[in-house]
Order: sequence, then C-alpha cells, then structure tokens
Amino acid sequence: MKCGVRFCGGCNPKYDRGAAYEFVRQGLQEEIQFEYAQEDTIYDILLIFDGCTNCCASYDAYMTRRGIVKIWQAEDLDKTIQILKDFE
Amino acid sequence: MLMTGAQYIESLRKLKTRVYLFGEEVKNWVDHPMIRPSIDCVAVTYDLAQDPQYTDLMTAKSILNSETINRFCNIHQSTDDLRKKVKMQRLLGQKTASCFQRCVGMDSFNAVYSTTFEVDKKYGTTYHQNFLKYLKFVQEKDLVVDGAMTDPKGDRGLAPSKQKDPDLFLRIVERRPDGIVVRGSKAHQTGCINSHEHLIMPTMALGEDDKDYAVSFACPTDADGIYMIYGRQSCDTRKLEPGADVDLGNHKFGGQEALVVFDNVFIPNDRIFLCGEYDFANMLVERFAGYHRQSYGGCKVGVGDVIIGAAALAADYNGASKAAHIKDKLIEMTHLNETLYCCGIACSAEGYPTAAGNYQIDLLLANVCKQNVTRFPYEIVRLAEDIAGGLMVTMPSERDFRSDLKVGKKGETIGDICNKYFAGSPTCTTEERMRVLRFLENICLGSAAVGYRTESMHGAGSPQAQRIMIARQGNIEGKKALAKAILDIK
Repeated sequence: MKCGVRFCGGCNPKYDRGAAYEFVRQGLQEEIQFEYAQEDTIYDILLIFDGCTNCCASYDAYMTRRGIVKIWQAEDLDKTIQILKDFE
Repeated sequence: MLMTGAQYIESLRKLKTRVYLFGEEVKNWVDHPMIRPSIDCVAVTYDLAQDPQYTDLMTAKSILNSETINRFCNIHQSTDDLRKKVKMQRLLGQKTASCFQRCVGMDSFNAVYSTTFEVDKKYGTTYHQNFLKYLKFVQEKDLVVDGAMTDPKGDRGLAPSKQKDPDLFLRIVERRPDGIVVRGSKAHQTGCINSHEHLIMPTMALGEDDKDYAVSFACPTDADGIYMIYGRQSCDTRKLEPGADVDLGNHKFGGQEALVVFDNVFIPNDRIFLCGEYDFANMLVERFAGYHRQSYGGCKVGVGDVIIGAAALAADYNGASKAAHIKDKLIEMTHLNETLYCCGIACSAEGYPTAAGNYQIDLLLANVCKQNVTRFPYEIVRLAEDIAGGLMVTMPSERDFRSDLKVGKKGETIGDICNKYFAGSPTCTTEERMRVLRFLENICLGSAAVGYRTESMHGAGSPQAQRIMIARQGNIEGKKALAKAILDIK
C-alpha cells in the first residue's frame, strides 16, 4: 500500500509533527510505503499531520483511492497506526 | 522556481547594491556582521518553503499560471489564503524571533494588483498589465521585493507640493517618452538592502497639486541612482565585537531598516503602475496599509511566542517557576499574544474579493489588529522583564564569563567568579541562564527591540492612523440606529 504524507504549515503545532511521522513510519515500514505527497501521484491513502484541532492543511490537489486519515494530536498516534493497518 | 536560502544569499552577491554605514561605503555588505543576521533571517523564508513540514503555509499556487510559488510572492485568492498568510507569518516569527522583512513586498503586490485594475478601468491606462508582467518576473525568480511607501515627510503640517524642500516626498521630476525620472527617498525601509527589487507607492492621499507625487513603480535595488544609508539600532555594535555570541541575545537573526535614496532614477514605462492619477493614491495607501496591519497579527505573535517561552525559561532558571504570580504573568502574556492573533485571523476570515479578483482583508478589523499591536507587545516585554529580573541588564559580558584572568585570593578567575555568583537553578548551566537573559535584554531594549517594540508602534502606520481608519469604518450612525430601535426612538 502506498501512503502520501502531508503536513499542515506548522504555525503553532501542539506536538512535533515530524517526530510523529517518523513514529508512524517506523511502526508500519514493513507494510506501507510512505512518501511526501506529490500532486501527480495517486496514493492508496493520504495521511495528514495537522498540528492542532484547526486541521487547516490543504489537500484538494492530492489524489487517493481509498481515503484520507488525519491526525491532530499526539495521543492519537497508536490509533492512527491501527487505522492504517486496518486499511490493508 | 523556489530558491534555497543559500541560493538567495548568493543571489544578493550578484547585485551592485550601494550601502553606506558609519560614513563609508560597505563593499561586502552580505558578510558584514551588522547586516548578515538580517540576511540570514530572510533566508529562512526560502528554506522553510523547501521543507514538507511547512510548505502548506510557505507556498501557494500562482494566480498567473498555478505554478507553486513562495507565499511571499502570492496574490491572495481566497480568505483561506489570507488566513494562511497570517499563520505563515506566525511560523516565521517563531523560527526567527525577529522581523523577517519579506512581508512588505507581499502586501504591496496585493495592493498594487487591485488598485491598478481600478485605475485602468477609470482611465484606460495599462498599469495592471505592467504589474502582471512584473509579478510574473518576481514569482518566476522568487525575489524579495521591498514594498516602499513611507516618505520622510518633512513638515507634517504641509502637503508634499508645499514643502520647502520638494524632495521630502518622492516624486516625478521628468517625463520622457520611454519612462519617468524620479527623485526623493523612502525612509524606514525594512529589509531594503536584502531585497532584489523595490516597489514604490505614494504615502498618503493626494490632491491635484500633488499629482507628481502620485507615483508607483518597480526598480532593481541596484538601479543607477539608488543608494541606501543603514539605520542604527540599539546595541548594534555588539555585533562587531570579536567572537560575540551570548551578548547578542539572538545571535542568529535580526532586522534591518535603511533610508533608500532615489537620485534621479529612470523608470521605464513598463515598470510604472501609477503616474499622476492622484485620486487613486488613497486607495493604494489604504489597501497596502490594511494588508500590512493584518501582517502584524502574525509576525509579532510568533515573536511573542518565543518571548513567552524565554520568560518561562528565565523563571525556570531563576528557580521561580512555581510562584503563582509568575504563572499568572505568563498567562497574561499568552492572553495578550493570542488576542493579537485573534485580530489577524478575524480580519482575514472577514476578507472579500476586490474588483480585480484578489482578496482584501476587512479594513476595520485589520486596523483594530494593528491598534492592539501598538500596545500589547509593550506589556508583553514589560512582563518578560518583570519575570527575568534586573540581572538581564546588569550581567557582565560574555568575555568576563570566559575570562581566565586570576582575581581571587585562591586563584579564582573572573570567569570562575561570574559562573559562581550568577548560577541559578541546578537545572541549567550559568551560560544557559545568561543566554536566556541576554535574549530578553535584546528583545526588550537591544537591537531586536526595533522590530518588536518600536516597529509594533509605528510599522504599517502609527497609532493615530489606525484610529482614523477605525473612525471611518466604525459606522457610528448605524450603531445609533441600533440603539434607537431598541429604545423606540424614531
């Protein structure tokens, strides 16, 4: 499964989005291929790291077959990994 | 094409910019220790645009061709664009704790874009086409542009054309078939030396007598006849001290202002965006000022975030963080800082499309934003000074902290004594405590105070300018009608 990763702009994040991405990537690297989302690629899933509840990351320009997963707080990291596993 | 920070810095070296400081021309201004921190600050606007963690704020799609551009070159196409602009500025304030200088260009692009459209509609001129061509150039090359509005103004009681010295406002001195010649200067120009181009605008509403002052144009920073005289900042020569680091407060980044002189500079026709249409000077000024007053709801908030963090660290390092009054002061700093952000977001969310199609902020709310910015940073730094304590302005120099000169009866060095007597909480080293206190000293009353305090007061217009706009936009008659309706007064 191929997963495109997108971040919000990070104006005032409540958690370290880069570290969160690394945590998810390490947890799922056997099952899922991750890359920073490109507009000309169709992904199975788009994973969006929003820094806060505002969830303002734009993603209209990106294509996905099976949907979008958003995370906006560090407490949801384990849940996010499980959601991505369940997509498989 | 998006440049990297390093490419931006190298691009400045190719310019023949004339810079004067302390009575002499500065040949290598890119590496001058007083100027380089401000260049490094602008470079962050380039580097963050390359980082996937920040591109959603730092980049946008061009209105011209949908290519990805740096948001500082963007024409705002929605209220989402306006909100992201403010968020981008908060981000940069957090990353630099400084004035990062590139906003004035972006604000002038948007004001000139919409104003030229309306001038052309009334007069059949081609200024909007000229500006689109210029904008394409700026976006493709990813340039920094100094949006230049403020004239020195001389006697504030007199119109430009009535000044004893007509050069005190920049004006057209000659009209030729292929362009115009301009003379005058623009004062307090933030980041002008670090810019590739200048975009000039008139500074106030003008009448028919002042039509030669109703001029807007763009020119390269190193055009023939342009030179800059650097503005001094508090404690600026600390940057010249050999090996200066801790004593600078913020040793990485800084701001910059200069006087930009136009000594009979020729501007070709295709770079002219207003030329005598004095009735549109006020529109251009109001729109630029509106955008720039919105900007402060982002940039100063980001710097405020860092000040709050530094004040909290100072409390930790002083061993005072558990005190109730310290916590309350940090709460108050946060409240004030987020209030400014509220204003920046509000004027963005209430934005609307202009006749040209780009989005303008809500003028009343943008002026409320800036009016608050003229006050709250002063209270924020007052609280930071309160928390930090007097040591922030009485500490010995970093050279003393590092000195191995023996002074004590048991052979203690100056460095030993400084580290002994200025130790704080065991959770930090004395140097860490020094660094935080020097940072606060710098932002409260050193070179960074220029960008956080006085710029908050006067940048984008002095407090009275916002009060005039609030009065105009406040709709008192409408509010009287509301009261009358409830009170059954006809």
